[in-house]
This record gives sequence, structure tokens and C-alpha cells, in this order.
Amino acid sequence: MSSTPKILLVDDNPADANLTCEVLATSERQTQVSTVGDGEQALQFLHRSGQFADAVRPDLIILDLNLPRKDGRAVLAEVKADPELNELPVVIFTTSHAPRDIARCYELGANSYVSKPGNLGQFFSAVRSIENFWFGFASLPD
Amino acid sequence: MTVYNEVDILLVEDNPDDLELALHALRREHLANNIFVVRDGEEAVEFLFCTGRFQDRSFENPPRLVLLDLKLPKLTGLEVLKLVKNDPRTKAVPVVVLTASREERDLVSSYNLGANSYIQKPVDFDQFREIVKSTGLYWIVINQHPISNPATMAARP
Amino acid sequence: MISSPTNGGGQSRLRVLLIEDAPADAEIEIAELRRGGFEVSADVVETQKQVRDHLEKTKYDVILADYSLPNFRGMDTLDILREKNLHTPLILVTGALNSETAVECVKQGAMDYILKDHLARLTISVRRALEDVRVRLERTRAQEQLAAKVEELARSNCDLEQFAYVASHDLQEPLRMVASYTQLLAERYRGKLDSSADRYINYAVEGATRMQALLEDLLSFSRIGRNGVKPAPTDVSSAIDEVLKNLELPLKEHSVTITCNPMPTVLGDRFQVVQLFQNLIGNAIKFRAKRNPCVTISAEKKDHEWLFSVFDNGIGIAADHRDLIFKIFQRLHTRVEYPGNGVGLAICKKIVEHNGGRIWVESELGQGSNFRFTFPAAPADKTGKKEDYELYAKNPVSR
Repeated sequence: MSSTPKILLVDDNPADANLTCEVLATSERQTQVSTVGDGEQALQFLHRSGQFADAVRPDLIILDLNLPRKDGRAVLAEVKADPELNELPVVIFTTSHAPRDIARCYELGANSYVSKPGNLGQFFSAVRSIENFWFGFASLPD
Repeated sequence: MTVYNEVDILLVEDNPDDLELALHALRREHLANNIFVVRDGEEAVEFLFCTGRFQDRSFENPPRLVLLDLKLPKLTGLEVLKLVKNDPRTKAVPVVVLTASREERDLVSSYNLGANSYIQKPVDFDQFREIVKSTGLYWIVINQHPISNPATMAARP
Repeated sequence: MISSPTNGGGQSRLRVLLIEDAPADAEIEIAELRRGGFEVSADVVETQKQVRDHLEKTKYDVILADYSLPNFRGMDTLDILREKNLHTPLILVTGALNSETAVECVKQGAMDYILKDHLARLTISVRRALEDVRVRLERTRAQEQLAAKVEELARSNCDLEQFAYVASHDLQEPLRMVASYTQLLAERYRGKLDSSADRYINYAVEGATRMQALLEDLLSFSRIGRNGVKPAPTDVSSAIDEVLKNLELPLKEHSVTITCNPMPTVLGDRFQVVQLFQNLIGNAIKFRAKRNPCVTISAEKKDHEWLFSVFDNGIGIAADHRDLIFKIFQRLHTRVEYPGNGVGLAICKKIVEHNGGRIWVESELGQGSNFRFTFPAAPADKTGKKEDYELYAKNPVSR
């Protein structure tokens, strides 16, 4: 991946989305983040349809679970069922610690599941770790 | 044997040098108490599907992470991956491919087959150790693994 | 409605259904009742149809029936009463009756039987019957009230638990925002605004983080008994292993010696068992005294329960605090002296009681504490050999 890594951030809470973007912005590594607030927009973005006709294909999807219009699990299921999209790594990033949610996401094909910590320092670490691992160590499809 | 049921990391690696480096890196970070090594694809499948040599293993206690090489005797890494990710009993186990291959084809196939992630082994030993360490840290500490038995969740003090 | 004072013997008005074909006998019986102090209003009938019609129209306090009438057996009245769901007491007033038949009649539901040539007993018998009715009525009413109260309580409890869960769960999200952004403010603007601002922001951060911890504890507390997990045989030894692993850092840091005696299998939820021991052992570490902290865990069998002890040589608890500490949010020290929200022991108590056990502490200030609790044994549990072994020495050896 030679160009700037692109992230699709799907989160309906502007405060959380803002925080995530803050962490990414303060990193030494440059990333390009597109944020959408609901599940339907997320899929439109990935299919480059409607208002997202000019969208760029992301390298990583950071996906919250509780979203309006179409919830995170539905988005996950659709992405992983679509041969065009299923190779995209999806990191679930959500407040839920419920084992049921975690198990369900893995069943649907989530690549990784990270719980949003309540504490700022840990939140920073979590986002930083996600960024470092997926763009620093893992190899992603072009 | 109960020890087979408390495996944190399953390392599927046939190259003795790579194996040694990986073990060293993981142990140094105290990431896992119980790292189990298998050296070919067949053994890996037996382990994960609780058959053959590992029939005493239980599906209720999967490893928290599988580090899977692609180039393996008996059954290739991709074949193992396909079997594991297509079966509902094993599908949720995090499998990270750790391979020397530079083939784009291997990378794409792995992700398509459901690999949770794909890591290319660096040639440099120090970098290799670093990458194993960071991979271990991410998948054991940051990532939440699927919990089949809620008892494994650490109780809050 | 029988309007009577609490003592049925005080009732004077009496409505009687007399099933008797000899009018003279009927007169004598009525006279006897009047002599006994009753204001009698009686209906005398002799056929089944008449019995039915009268029972339909009037509410009687008592029925006096002859055993055998030309077309009717007095005892058959009981069937009619049952049919109409009436509980009017029936007293047989009859000529000679052999004692076996008499006993049989009482067994079948007659309140009493009086021989016509021993009518003196009639009044007493009637009064006893009235008292019986009154008592039964009271008991039924009391039972209904109790049932209603229990249902109301259960509903209220359920609502409360649900409220606690939803409140703490839904409060977490906005609280996280407050906590995160006040911390961000603190970091971003520390030293850039005036010193008051720094202080204010710190107070806000402290408040928010404390509230987060409190909510998590409350959530934990309210979850006990709600997660729908069926009690299953749980290996306590392995649960304690997990606890020791979770507490590895503080155990090492304070060089705590843990002695764990053989542990049984109990019937419960493993997650709760882990929580229970983790809170107790965690407390033992937190409230350690100056000397080398030691914790000893043991179990002894008592009938169908196991009695556990978690004994520490920590700071101990004064006598008048021993019950207090199990109350939720109750703390004995300031936050500066010891951290915590005061929920840990309340959680322990709830877990133990939810499983049908009891928990208490034996302790003196300055002399350590022995926390004891009971837990139901698993049906077929095997106890290991009795041998002590130490898990952690002062220089911990990795397992």
C-alpha cells in the first residue's frame, strides 16, 4: 500500500467520531478518514452510489454497532457476503462488551473486535493500536 | 488432557528458525501462558477440530489466536484456513496468517477465505521479532476474542 | 355478610334452614336455639327442591338437617352446597344414629351431629360452627392479601432491577462523552487558561471518572440474578485460579502469600463465583496491615452446603461495622485512605444470597478478618485429599 491509508469510519456519535479522528490526526502516520453516521450511508459509500459516487475504496473499515437506519451487524453481514467487498478488513469498534455481540460479529466475519474504553487514555491507546497494527504491521489488499 | 484446552496461542509453523524466533518474541512479552505448536496442516486441523490426536480437546475452549504459516507440509495454510473459516464451530477463532510469501494472490485469497489478518514475515530477525510481538499484543490485548463461555471474562475487582 | 363481633359466640341474629319433616321437632329445635340466646329466623323445608329454592334465595348462617327424610337424605344437602359453592355449615339433628354413621357423616362434611334427645348441645354446636366459618373467612382473606402483596412486591422488584440496569447502562454513554472530553480539555488547555480553570477542569474530570466507576459497579450489582444462567456444578479451585491470575499484579506487588486449601465443587454460576472470590481476596489485599499480607482460603462441608472462609491478617473490622460493610455504597474510610466505591461486599452478599447462602465476617480491629459464607454443594461433588499447599511464596514462582 503505497498511498495514504484510507479509513472508513462508521459511527453515529459525533463526539466519538471526532475523538477517533483526533487520535488519528495526531499520529505520525498520515491517514485519510471518511466518516459516515449510519449504516445505509456506509454501504452507499462502499458501493460508491448516490452522494458517494466519488468515494474512494477504503483500506480499513472501523465500524460501530449501534447505528441508525441500518445497524453495524447488518453492514458487517452485507460487506462480508459481497465478493467485491469481503476482503476489506472490518474492525468493530463499539461500546458493547456483551459476549453475545462479540460472538455474533465474529460469526458474521468481522476481522477484529475492539471495545471502546471509557477512559480517554485507553481510548487513545485503542485507536492508536488499531492504526499501528493494521497500517504498520498487517498487509492489506490493494 | 486439560493442557490442550487452555491454549492461548496456536502456532502453526514448520520452519524451526521462524518457530524459535516467534516463540521467543511471544514469551518475552508474557502475552500467553500456553503456546501450543503444531508443525503441519493436518495437525493444525486435528487440533482445531478436536479430532485424532486431540480428541480430548473441546470446541468450548478454542485458542485465543492462531498464527498460521501458509507453506506447510500435509495440508497448506490456505486449506487449513478454508476448513476453519467455513465451519460454524471454528469460524470465530481469530486466525492471523504469518507468512514469508510475497504473492498478492496469497494475500487476497487469505482475506477472501476469512483470515482475520495477514502478516508478511520480514527477512530481518529483529523486525520479525518486532512484528510477532506487535501482532501478539494487538490480538491478545487489544482485540476482544469471541467468548464462548462467559466464565472466561475477567471479573472486575 | 354475617355481622358479628370477633367472637362468634356473641352473634345473636341467626338465619337457619331447617330440613325437617316433623314440624314439632322443628319447633323444639328453634325453641332450643332461642333459649341459647339467638334471635332465630328459620325456614323449614322437607324436599330437595325446597332446599334448592331456599338456598338460592337466602343466605343462611347454618343448616340443621334431619338424617333421613321421606324423599331426601339430609347429607345430600352437602352436595347441593358444593354445587352452589356455598360453605354454610351443616349440622345433623337426628334421632338415633349409630356412631359409625355419625363419624362418617362428619368425615363427609357435616359440621356436627346432634341427637334429638340431647338437644342441649345444639346451641354450643351452632356457635362453634359460626366461629369456624368466621375463622375460615379471615384466613382466606389474609391469604388473598398476602398473595396480592407478594405479587406487587415481585413486580416492584422486577421494575426496580430493570430500572437500575437500564439507568446505569444508558447513563454510561453520555458519561463517557463527558469524561473523555473533559480529559481532552485538561490535556489540551492545561496551563493555557488561568489556574482556576485548571482546577475546575480537574474537579470535572475527577467527578466524571468516579461516576463511571460507580455506574460500572452498579451495573455489575444489578446484573446479579438477571443473567439467566442456570446454576451448574462449578469447580471452585479453578475459579480461584482465575482470580489469582486476575489479581496477579497486586499479589506480586505486595508480596501476598495465598494459602488455598482443597476446594469443592459448588452449584452456581462460575462467573459469580469468580466475582465473589475476587472481591474478597481483592479486599484482603487492599486492606492489608503493615506486616506480610497473608490470605487463607478454606472450605468445610456442612450438610448440603459448603462453608467457605477467606481469612486475612489485614486491618480488621470493628464490631459495630461488621454488618454495615455489606451495605451498598457503605464505606468505612475516606477515598484518600482507601480507593473504592463500597460496592464490592454488597455484590458478594447479593451473589451469596441469590444462591441461597449467608455471608458474614468474624473480625476485630487490628486482628485481621475472616469472611465466611455458605454455598450449596453440587449434588455429587468429590472432595480432594486434605493437604495444604501454598500457591504463592514471597518470591513468586511462575506456575
